[in-house]
Amino acid sequence: MFKRLQTKLTVLYAGLFGVALTLIAAAVLLAITANAERQVRGELVAGGAVFDRLWAMRSSDLENDAGLMTRDFGFREAMASHDGATAQSALENLRQRSGVDVALSVTLDGQTAASDGHSLGADGAAIAQAVQTDTADVDPAGVAVIGGAPYQAIATPILSPTLMGWVVFAQKLDRREMSALEGLSSIPLHAQVLERGADGWISAGEPLSGADTRRVSRFVSDALANHAGPQQLSMSDGAAIALVKPLKTLDGAPSAVLLLRYPMAMVMAPYRLLMELLVGIGLAGMALAVAGSWALARSVTRPVSALVAAAQRLQQGEAAQVVVETGDEVGRLGESFNLMAEAIGERERRITHLAMSDAETGLPNRLALERRLATAADAQGALVAALSIDRFAMVRGVIGYELAGALVRHVAARLAVVAPGAAIGRLSSDTLGMVFRAADGAAAAEMMARAVDGPMQVGDATIDVSVTIGVADSRQPDPDRSPFVAAAIAVAQARTGHRRVAAFDPEAYGDPAANLSLMSQMMQAIEAGHIEVFYQPKFDIRRGCVGALEALVRWRHPQRGLIGPDLFIPLAEETGHIRALTDRVLAQAIADQQHLRAAKHDLDISVNISGRLLSDTDFADAALRVVGSAPGRIWFEITETAVIDNPEEALRQVERFADAGIGVSIDDYGSGLSSLAYLREIRAEELKIDKAFILDLAASRKNTLLVRSTIDLAHSLGMKVTAEGVETNEAFALLAGMGCDYAQGFLIERPLPLKDVLTFLHEDRAAARRYG
Amino acid sequence: MLRLVLCLCLLLVLPASAFAGDVSVTLRTPQGAPIVNAVVTIEAPHTGPVRFDWPYRMAQQNLQFDPFVLIVPVGAEVAFPNLDKVRHHVYSFAPAKTFELKLYGQDETRVVNFDKPGVVPLGCNIHDNMVAFVVVVDTPWAARTDVSGQAVLRGVPAGPQTLHVWHPYLIAPGNALAQPVAVPRDGAALAQVTGQLRAPLQQRRMY
Repeated sequence: MFKRLQTKLTVLYAGLFGVALTLIAAAVLLAITANAERQVRGELVAGGAVFDRLWAMRSSDLENDAGLMTRDFGFREAMASHDGATAQSALENLRQRSGVDVALSVTLDGQTAASDGHSLGADGAAIAQAVQTDTADVDPAGVAVIGGAPYQAIATPILSPTLMGWVVFAQKLDRREMSALEGLSSIPLHAQVLERGADGWISAGEPLSGADTRRVSRFVSDALANHAGPQQLSMSDGAAIALVKPLKTLDGAPSAVLLLRYPMAMVMAPYRLLMELLVGIGLAGMALAVAGSWALARSVTRPVSALVAAAQRLQQGEAAQVVVETGDEVGRLGESFNLMAEAIGERERRITHLAMSDAETGLPNRLALERRLATAADAQGALVAALSIDRFAMVRGVIGYELAGALVRHVAARLAVVAPGAAIGRLSSDTLGMVFRAADGAAAAEMMARAVDGPMQVGDATIDVSVTIGVADSRQPDPDRSPFVAAAIAVAQARTGHRRVAAFDPEAYGDPAANLSLMSQMMQAIEAGHIEVFYQPKFDIRRGCVGALEALVRWRHPQRGLIGPDLFIPLAEETGHIRALTDRVLAQAIADQQHLRAAKHDLDISVNISGRLLSDTDFADAALRVVGSAPGRIWFEITETAVIDNPEEALRQVERFADAGIGVSIDDYGSGLSSLAYLREIRAEELKIDKAFILDLAASRKNTLLVRSTIDLAHSLGMKVTAEGVETNEAFALLAGMGCDYAQGFLIERPLPLKDVLTFLHEDRAAARRYG
Repeated sequence: MLRLVLCLCLLLVLPASAFAGDVSVTLRTPQGAPIVNAVVTIEAPHTGPVRFDWPYRMAQQNLQFDPFVLIVPVGAEVAFPNLDKVRHHVYSFAPAKTFELKLYGQDETRVVNFDKPGVVPLGCNIHDNMVAFVVVVDTPWAARTDVSGQAVLRGVPAGPQTLHVWHPYLIAPGNALAQPVAVPRDGAALAQVTGQLRAPLQQRRMY
């Protein structure tokens, strides 16, 4: 929520303080309000009681005054003798004497006469009725309305000695009277008399606004219905606590009340200062809390922020130290951080040094050279050379690892002399790398090779050192390989070409990555039938016709076209695909032999078996089962080299093949390690002389001798001989003369798909071929 | 002349003796309490002066009138003896008889002639609580109920008559009730009258 600790702490502390303060203020306010209300309610009740007492006292006073009148003999006589004027004057006299507002007499027949002679109209009739209908045990007394204003009235009977009428004394309940009542209370109450009007309770003596009248009227009704004590009453000038006291009326009906009010504002007035103080203290405290927590948080977060910034610098590999100002936890953290940053820097330098240098010789390593190249290859570019010390493994075997390292350092030192400014490092154990600038890379490399070549004193020994140098040009970027790899490959290319110096030749290197992808496609190709089997005829020299076929595999790649076995067979051997490939070829060969047989061509078919499969018992078992179903004879062509890897097992399998009637041919004889021992051990029926001897058979006398003696050797060991690579009639004639049994080569026919083989055989049968 | 007097006497006596019955009145409140001091009257044609056998006397004793209700015939002279040690000032503003007996002392007697029928409330100007009533009647058939609320009117002419009941505190117009009663030629008619009393004003003012 908050990204900064400082804000978070400040808000938290200030918030907590604020909440606590608000709660305290609320509690205080509640307590004060409750207390004040309780106090005011008490005062109201007391005010009500005072009013009751006052009312009774005034009532008594009025009654006394009225009683004085009714007991007056002259008045009674005047009343009895219907001497109205006298009675009225007597009444007025007493009214003035006792200071009563209104005095009137009521006769038994309901006639009213005010002492001052005014007509009372409807009010008089109402009073007369109220007085007459009274049946209570006390004299009629209570509120009466005269001329729209409320009066406290009392009626006393005129007894002479029986009831002759009543004298009514009434005292106006005006503001002055109410003020007198209010003055008796200890709190400034507001007292008001309300009468029940047609539309509710109204205040005749002290009119209220329309809204207040409705509110008050409802309040009075509720209070009377519930006999409630002091309650909250909201009026237009604010809330008040009010008490309703029913007043007795002259006619006894509950149609007048006394409303005692005390505004809440005045209730709370004594506490205003306290509340203001509380709010003031609260605000000041809040400000202090904000400022204090801000400062505290800042003292914590400033070093932390510094640490964060330093940590970021450290992350980016810059020097990062923080200023430690305090001795507290944060300060100690800063010190620890500084120590850590130093240690990390130290370690980093060491690791960088280790990562960039060769541990054995202390020379820069390949990574260092690559960095150097990256910085040097910007504008003009640079050349990269790989210098491989010839026969290094052998030399190291003689002088030991330690001196071998010294030898590498010496070579590097000589290079540094002839190529100042070049970066020299160690790429691998026997190879040094160099990043340098030169107009002609090859010429520079030749010069270096000459400078390095020669005897070198290493320890006690003097070693004759020569190097092979591969050069790659970093100015022609190659996405497939780095210049160092290219230079290393160039070294291998130089060695292959028996040269001291070679520039990297991408054409000669080919595309190993593409070859690898080829292998991943091989299994699909086998299943999809893209692997096709071609057949090359073997010409039976003595019979003058095709005697057998050699099955050769071709891959008809959907994108790359026809791919020769030279490309994919070695890869298949390396990846293990050779087993599936051979199974496929063998099955196809047997199926095709069936086809040939159907076309009346009963021919033996030879299948090449890789040396990798010779020691595979599982393959041998499968092959034996499959060959059992062949319509004709199947031959397996194996090389001597294949047997050398695992002679015992290989020979055992060859025995099994021979036992099963499979013809065994020794393939490519003379090209590899032709061992007479193996020639003796292998139960072969045929020897195939490698085409290297046949191609220039006519030109080389040595070859002629070798081939002739080989044929003789084979024949003497009971084997037939096939010459491969027969391309000329001259060679054919020579071989025929030497007693060779079969000729195979472009002179006869190149490898053909089965249908072309059928055509070829058909022609062969139709017209006897003649070679030589 | 003697014969004439004799005849007149007969005329007077005969209806009463030959064709008159008694009316026995019982006056009670609805709650069954007897109403004392009520005046029951039947007004019927009669001859000769009316006389009652109780004294026409309204004494003042113990700051009270005694009796509370006194029935007198028209023209009666009523004595007002003061038996108290204090003096009294008896008055009446009644239309039937307005009079005033100003302060008179112990063992003094005043006499007042009540010459018109009607109810005469009596008061004492000094003692407000003293109240009594002199009921001046023009009929011989008048009686006051006793403590059991009963009164008997004897020798009332037979036939349908109107029985009047009056009490100062009876709740009724003019404090009086009227009720028809069939008076037998001989024997007694029983009349049950029910009435309600209010509290006397003087009593409730005794605080």
